[in-house]
Amino acid sequence: MIAFSTNQLQKFNQIVARYPEGKQKSALIPSLLFAQECFDNWLSVEVMDYIAQCLKITSIEVYEVATFYSMFNLKPVGKYVFEVCQTGPCMIQGAETIIDYIKKKLHIEVGQTTPDGLFTLKTVECLGACGYAPMMQQGKFYREHLTPEKVDQIINELTSKI
Amino acid sequence: MGVQLLLDKISVKDIQLYDVYRAEGGYSSVEKALKLKPEDIVEEVKKSGLRGRGGAGFPTGMKWSFIAKPSGVPRHLVCNADESEPGTFKDRFLMEKIPHLLIEGLIVSSFALGSNTTYIYIRGEYAWIVDILEQAISEAEQHGWLGKNILGTGFDCNIYVQRGAGAYICGEETALIESLEGKRGNPRIKPPFPAVEGLWRRPTVVNNVETIAAVVPIINIGAEAYSKIGVGRSTGTKLISACGNINKPGVYEIDMTISVEDFVYSKDYCGGIKNNKKLKACIPGGSSVPILPANLLFNTADGKTRYMNYESLSEGGFATGSMLGSGGFIVLDEDQCIVKHTYTLARFYRHESCGQCSPCREGTGWMEKILLKFLNGEGRHNDIDLLWEIQSKIEGNTICPLGDAAAWPVAAAIRHFRHEFEQKIKI
Repeated sequence: MIAFSTNQLQKFNQIVARYPEGKQKSALIPSLLFAQECFDNWLSVEVMDYIAQCLKITSIEVYEVATFYSMFNLKPVGKYVFEVCQTGPCMIQGAETIIDYIKKKLHIEVGQTTPDGLFTLKTVECLGACGYAPMMQQGKFYREHLTPEKVDQIINELTSKI
Repeated sequence: MGVQLLLDKISVKDIQLYDVYRAEGGYSSVEKALKLKPEDIVEEVKKSGLRGRGGAGFPTGMKWSFIAKPSGVPRHLVCNADESEPGTFKDRFLMEKIPHLLIEGLIVSSFALGSNTTYIYIRGEYAWIVDILEQAISEAEQHGWLGKNILGTGFDCNIYVQRGAGAYICGEETALIESLEGKRGNPRIKPPFPAVEGLWRRPTVVNNVETIAAVVPIINIGAEAYSKIGVGRSTGTKLISACGNINKPGVYEIDMTISVEDFVYSKDYCGGIKNNKKLKACIPGGSSVPILPANLLFNTADGKTRYMNYESLSEGGFATGSMLGSGGFIVLDEDQCIVKHTYTLARFYRHESCGQCSPCREGTGWMEKILLKFLNGEGRHNDIDLLWEIQSKIEGNTICPLGDAAAWPVAAAIRHFRHEFEQKIKI
């Protein structure tokens, strides 16, 4: 049975408290983002049902939102997710070279996770960092002005954390 | 450099911290505004000529004056920080570098609109900026600028930050409101407009980050002085985020009297085209606005100098002009393939279509597929006409402007660069 820890529950309650009485459904998107952080970076049906119960809404209300927004992972992902922007401004600065380099380096295709479960590669649409292209999101932060050397550094940095 | 109203303090060390910001005169607009009547502030913003900085350019004061005031119903101000239009990264810069400017503007604007609970809806990917904003909010609270009975006026206000979760469509104000209510970001049919029935069916105003920030200098220097900066109906200053094949990508504040040519070549701004290449084309106001070839960028079709403002950039209509839009300035050099660039934009809009309206849901995917055909050298001559026909049937036939936003880049690429499509036709 999935459940928030006491600390997590406190944080969850803070999120819900931002909205007026009876409008707790507004907390759904922030709650799902938080749940993703708490439960292995993806939303299983069990997690979504749990959030529905916490917010006193139906499960279908959670599913329809979770399937709409691109930041919700509906299947397991690696410990570190590389989300490389591929829209126009990043494309003209060499986003494709970066994507190809990561594929070769990690021996995975876009959408796949390395067998050790460490890295997932995704392509995403514009992240609002066009002046610092090519770039990717990795966890909470942006990694900008990417080059193959910089990708190597990032992979080394993350691998050495383990 | 021209007049700086928003970024004038940006180089002050630690300006993101409350003490530094306050020492530089921060929050003085709150002191000034809270002595006024809310309706006088609305009037002041009207007089300033400020237009919405998110892209549509609708007069802000007028938008504010539409807010309904049924008795006993709370009203809300929602700040649109869902910056997602390709080429646009100005709000991010402002929130990261000088977060208190936004908070200050939100307090004044909340007072003017009678919003006791104000939300900042920020795109989910800007996750670290949420911490910056929450820190600024908590500092403002500690110093009495937020919370109960602000400056002893009896006005209460709290600001909360709400993260989105990856959906361009939530930059559209009614989709944003749906999302803030915990739903899919499907735009609503208007009317009713948010000013009458918005968040939780309460009167709501949704304003872009830069728009709210601009309220601070308007109060500080007065509407009259503000309206004298710029030209015609393009008053005040505008943030431009410049990217693409230029020497100095970044965020610049301009006073809307600078010519497009100076903006591209001046060392104070873009610094010219990278690697001494030739300029081929430019999308001057975010990915949705029409692309302009070099010859129509610096001068209008009848030979007048083009300036970086609302009127001049749109001169000539869509036939030979474009739009200032969000200020997302994307520069393409001679080596760039227009068909390929347009393909990435078509893919973007297909990905971001919410799926409510058939012309947009089906049309965006169809355009993407045809553009891919051209890229693979499989395009046929009648595919250019087909592409034109599809975009023309999306435009104006959807609930929200995403349909138009998807159609315009394709239309402009064909209008000005038809030869590049023809070169990719399978013979």
